[in-house]
Amino acid sequence: MIFLSRTLPLVIAFAFGMLGVIGYYVPHGDAQSLEREMALWMRIVFAFSYLLGLYSLLNLHWQRIRQRVAGWAYSLIAILSFAVMMVFVVYNDGLGPFTAQAEAGGYKWLFDNIQVSCASTMFSILAFFIASAAYRTFRARTPEAAVLLIAAVIVMLGRVPIGRELSDFFPIATDWLLNVPNLAAKRGILLGVSLGAIATSLRIIFGIERSYLGGGAE
Amino acid sequence: MRDTYIFLGVLLLFAAVNIGLVANGTLAADWTGLGIIVAAGMTLALYSFLYKDNPLFKFAEHVFVGVAAAYVFGQTWYPTLYGELIAEWTDPGEGETPNWWLLAPTVLGLLMLTRFSLRFGWLSRYAFAFFVGLAAGWTIPRYISSFILAQIEPTLQPLTWSLEGLNLLVVLVGVIGVLVYFFFSVEHTGTAGHISKVGIWFLMISFGASFGYTIMARISLLIGRVTFLLDDWLHLM
Amino acid sequence: MMHKLLAIDRRIIFALVFLSVAGPLLAGISLPITPTNEVKAAYDQFEKLDAGDIVLVSFSYGASTQPEMLPMSRAMLRHAFRRDLKVVAICLWPEAPGLAQQVLEEMTAEFDLEYGVDYAFMGYKPGNFSVILNMGQDFHSAFPQDQWGAETGDLDLTRGLRSLRDFDLVLDLAAGDSIEFWWIPYGQEKYGFTFVAGCTAVMAPDLYPFLDSGQLGGLLGGLAGAAEYETLIDRRGSASTGMSAQSMAHLVIVVFVLMGNIAYFAVRRTSSEQRS
Repeated sequence: MIFLSRTLPLVIAFAFGMLGVIGYYVPHGDAQSLEREMALWMRIVFAFSYLLGLYSLLNLHWQRIRQRVAGWAYSLIAILSFAVMMVFVVYNDGLGPFTAQAEAGGYKWLFDNIQVSCASTMFSILAFFIASAAYRTFRARTPEAAVLLIAAVIVMLGRVPIGRELSDFFPIATDWLLNVPNLAAKRGILLGVSLGAIATSLRIIFGIERSYLGGGAE
Repeated sequence: MRDTYIFLGVLLLFAAVNIGLVANGTLAADWTGLGIIVAAGMTLALYSFLYKDNPLFKFAEHVFVGVAAAYVFGQTWYPTLYGELIAEWTDPGEGETPNWWLLAPTVLGLLMLTRFSLRFGWLSRYAFAFFVGLAAGWTIPRYISSFILAQIEPTLQPLTWSLEGLNLLVVLVGVIGVLVYFFFSVEHTGTAGHISKVGIWFLMISFGASFGYTIMARISLLIGRVTFLLDDWLHLM
Repeated sequence: MMHKLLAIDRRIIFALVFLSVAGPLLAGISLPITPTNEVKAAYDQFEKLDAGDIVLVSFSYGASTQPEMLPMSRAMLRHAFRRDLKVVAICLWPEAPGLAQQVLEEMTAEFDLEYGVDYAFMGYKPGNFSVILNMGQDFHSAFPQDQWGAETGDLDLTRGLRSLRDFDLVLDLAAGDSIEFWWIPYGQEKYGFTFVAGCTAVMAPDLYPFLDSGQLGGLLGGLAGAAEYETLIDRRGSASTGMSAQSMAHLVIVVFVLMGNIAYFAVRRTSSEQRS
């Protein structure tokens, strides 16, 4: 059982990991066909991961309803909204679920008027909180914090038309800040992140990193 | 009690405004008009959070979650789960044979769904092993080529006595400083400490620029929503 | 006085932010917009193409960033269709099809386009970078049908497409990390196509290393980038209209930051004087 539940997954990760590396360096037609097939497989498996996420979300709300935890009625609203949208998704403007998606219909109306408006409003609320936070906490307490603050102010003014109206300094300084010191820092971070990602990938392929296997006794 | 009155007052005002807009023909009395009213209502319900956390905000938030989850299901079902799998096997097209190889990723995908089962949860490890292993294998050569080699090359250019040369030197110093700052295997004292200090200054400028851009992004989203309320809904612009 | 200023009710700040946005929009104030080098570079990449060249447009954003991304999507597609370029649209985010459909419908109405000849809409495929890898190897394998179920091989525009090499330009309109972590390592690195991107302002500073290395041929960052592109194609849109509000809001936040710092240091100085 240990072999099936622990060793075999590690062997699979190693085999497919090596396949991924080799596919890059071998230009032979068969190797490229294999890479194409693997990319297709990955896409399909990825699609199923959405179902996993969906189950997780619905189960969370269902448990809240079942246990009558505080605010369970909102979970009921989430599930009901999901059910209503699902009816329209499956109805598919009269075409049903076993065909391509319809160009219009109730699902599109709900998407345009509820999903789009809610999602962008949720994120735009941050504009207010970021302004409030900037007022309360954005302080030049140390030289480093002062540099951060000055750079932020310059960029804020340099990237909008009013900055140029105030002074040519703002757009010119913004351009330099972004193209020189910002570029250097981001490149340093990128190099560090890449080295980290490569090291982690090697650990996964060689079975040192196993957290993706999840918990469990075996 | 005060909040209840405010809530009822806002609700009545919203209803009155919409009745007025439909009555004078500003909003059409059809699905398009209703859509704008619903979108405006949801927008204002979410903005009510700015006053304080309230049931109206929570209602809109949970409606959004439910609708978004089902929409994503539709986008997964129609083009991929049905379009590429079920249709492939049940209706492969005239003269074409079904691609039965697609059963392999389908089985892996289904195994992934056992994750929440106490008894069969271990089966999901095969799917994750395939997924994580293959992604790791793809990552290594591509990150070396696209990020490490492609990024080092423009950093290590010949220096010249010009503004470009000076900028190139600043970039070089910055990259080294940031790399040393993130290199924790060496204690940041002495020369390493000084270099990592330089790295911190570069990082601060970079974070400042990112902060400025983040404010810009959030304000842009706000502009989008305010434009919707003032123009599409109230027709004031 | 300074203590009071520091303890100001946050709802007053909220109201001022709202007014700084709504005021210029209602007043219809217009400010001159000067395109930056990154946006000009993106524009030039489109200008270099000939009529009939094929552009792959990847919609990699969701509803939450639509106010930022829609204006640049419109401006860049308008530029492409104005130059008689062919557009193949794909989606790499699950929420993107509804948003892409809206822009494409607008363009169809404006330019009298024929579906399958002037443009094609391939819809969404889950898989992030693996979709790009799949497209690179075999476009038809990644997108066997378009969004509405037509076979990719049956559309004039997509019939002959075999790989990412067949595109004259790739444009990624992104709200996540698809530009640097999907398109560059899994597509541009191997197939070497001209790559241009439009992204949310949050992401823009992260992409400067790629502009410098030439892996990215041009970049539009946020609503300001879209406004600059609208200026270049000489067609004012919602981004240009929003720039006055954007300017005023930035100014108000800068004033907040300065006031907050002045009040903070004044209070700190008073406290230290009282202690000594």
